[in-house]
Amino acid sequence: MSANGNGAVEAVKDTIYRSCLLLDEEKWSDWLDLCDDGFQYSIKAWSPEINYDMTYFSADHKHLSTMTEQLPKHNTDHSPLKRHSTVYTVDVDKDGKTATAITSLVVYQNMLDGETSHLDSGENHLFLVGKYMDKLKIENGQAKFLEREVRLETRRLDKGSHWPI
Amino acid sequence: MPARNQKQWMADPNLQRGEWVDSRIYSDPEIFEEELEKIFKKTWIPVCHESELSEPYDFRTTTIAREPVIVARGPDNTVRAFLNVCPHRGMMIERRPAGSFLEGQPSGNPKRMTCMFHAWQFDMKGNCVYISREKEGYQDRLCKENTGLRRLRCEVAMGGFVWVCLDDKPECSLEEWAGKPFDCIRESIDAEPLEVFHYHKAIINTNYKLWHDTNSEFYHDFMHYHNRVTGFNDEYFARKNIGFEHGHVNVTSFEVNYDEYEGFESREELSFPKFPPNQWFMIDLFPGMNFNLRGSALRCDIMTPLGPNKVMIEFRGLGVKADTPEERQTRIEHHNSIWGPFGRNLHEDLIGVTGQGATMNDGSEPRRILHGRHEDNYIHDEVGLRHYYDEWGKWMDRLPSDPMQKYTAPAVAAE
Repeated sequence: MSANGNGAVEAVKDTIYRSCLLLDEEKWSDWLDLCDDGFQYSIKAWSPEINYDMTYFSADHKHLSTMTEQLPKHNTDHSPLKRHSTVYTVDVDKDGKTATAITSLVVYQNMLDGETSHLDSGENHLFLVGKYMDKLKIENGQAKFLEREVRLETRRLDKGSHWPI
Repeated sequence: MPARNQKQWMADPNLQRGEWVDSRIYSDPEIFEEELEKIFKKTWIPVCHESELSEPYDFRTTTIAREPVIVARGPDNTVRAFLNVCPHRGMMIERRPAGSFLEGQPSGNPKRMTCMFHAWQFDMKGNCVYISREKEGYQDRLCKENTGLRRLRCEVAMGGFVWVCLDDKPECSLEEWAGKPFDCIRESIDAEPLEVFHYHKAIINTNYKLWHDTNSEFYHDFMHYHNRVTGFNDEYFARKNIGFEHGHVNVTSFEVNYDEYEGFESREELSFPKFPPNQWFMIDLFPGMNFNLRGSALRCDIMTPLGPNKVMIEFRGLGVKADTPEERQTRIEHHNSIWGPFGRNLHEDLIGVTGQGATMNDGSEPRRILHGRHEDNYIHDEVGLRHYYDEWGKWMDRLPSDPMQKYTAPAVAAE
């Protein structure tokens, strides 16, 4: 791989890992700043139960922005989600302008509410397992998300979440 | 009134009997076991949708009242249900949630349900068609002709749902049991074949009836910001709760103003067949199933009680089988934005009922749970709950407001 290619790979990894930190800290606007205006986001899972490739959630940049601004008006579980991710592969296109990446993902819930906060707060629960399937554009040595598909293995989601994964 | 002391707190509320229940009906292990025997093993339960086993030899497994059940589509296209139990040594025959018997398994042939343990095989009608070393082991004392599976009552109806009853002689037919409450949406859900596009499950620590309660009252829309801004208007408050025989309840429709929620648009572009745009009907079936037809998507909740304070809820979303890819995508988005695991409302509902479950563990003090709102059966009237618990009391022969006493009719008629 060329020096430019290596630089692109590092830029992609940097953007993915930064996005995880921002999502962990619930800095939604800063996370969306890492995304192109045409960004498309989805959460999907294959269900062997119904033999169907399901979409649990999908939204574009504008929808995500509006949604994250609206969600404080909703009742929600206060337990933050914390991501553990490892970028497995980065494939940079020949022209060096776009790349795809696959990131292994485990999300834990750091309990604050739980069922009884007296007992549960401070505990971590495994929330879901999956992958980030990302497409990014690379400009001036920096990578921005064009598409993110959160591909879940988990289909038992209990209380679920209001927030992007 | 100021905060109450223990005596005041434990006193019966200043309401009529039938307008509250005792929280022990949500937490007592003995009552829970009795519910499985007296209710769940006796009533019709929707276990899946026929589109989940769309081809001959497809199967789906489930449980009712802890009994393992398998539903399979035969080569004659008939869907049948059996106990998922081998008559030999009691092994569960099929362990996967779904699949096809067209392929052979390590212990058995294609087109057979095979118990992996000792390779006994069954056809799609539940006949035992092969016992390994039959003559050598049983001589003429036992033969495959007498070792078929346990068949169960099974019907495909009400929009293509697969209904099973563990009781060979149910109190009434499925049509008599659930037909009337479905009349409000039957023309739409039976117009053409449907297909499940969404499935996820929640296993949460609460009693199954508390989830049904939430589905049966709209007073809790105060919890849902989305529903307040898209719904609270004169038409919303003109909706009525309608009780049916067997403890079932309908909620009549109104036009939802989705575009009042920032980021959402009107959903009039797509509806269900013969269903006016942006309408919303709800059917709550005793003892714990819910069907919601909201504009373009049908939602179905099926509850599997796991313990006094534990329930699995399976959530399904359905569209029309003949949908174009664009129509299907629209239905999925409409469904998920409110009812998906990352949608606006479902998360709130699940927080609500787990919060109730946390205060009603076995051994918690018995409390009065109020069902006493009267608003002429309009939308925030709790008549749906009263109607349900009167039926529950009859099936259980227990008084919901004092479950250690035998059932008697409530002072306030469960309209």
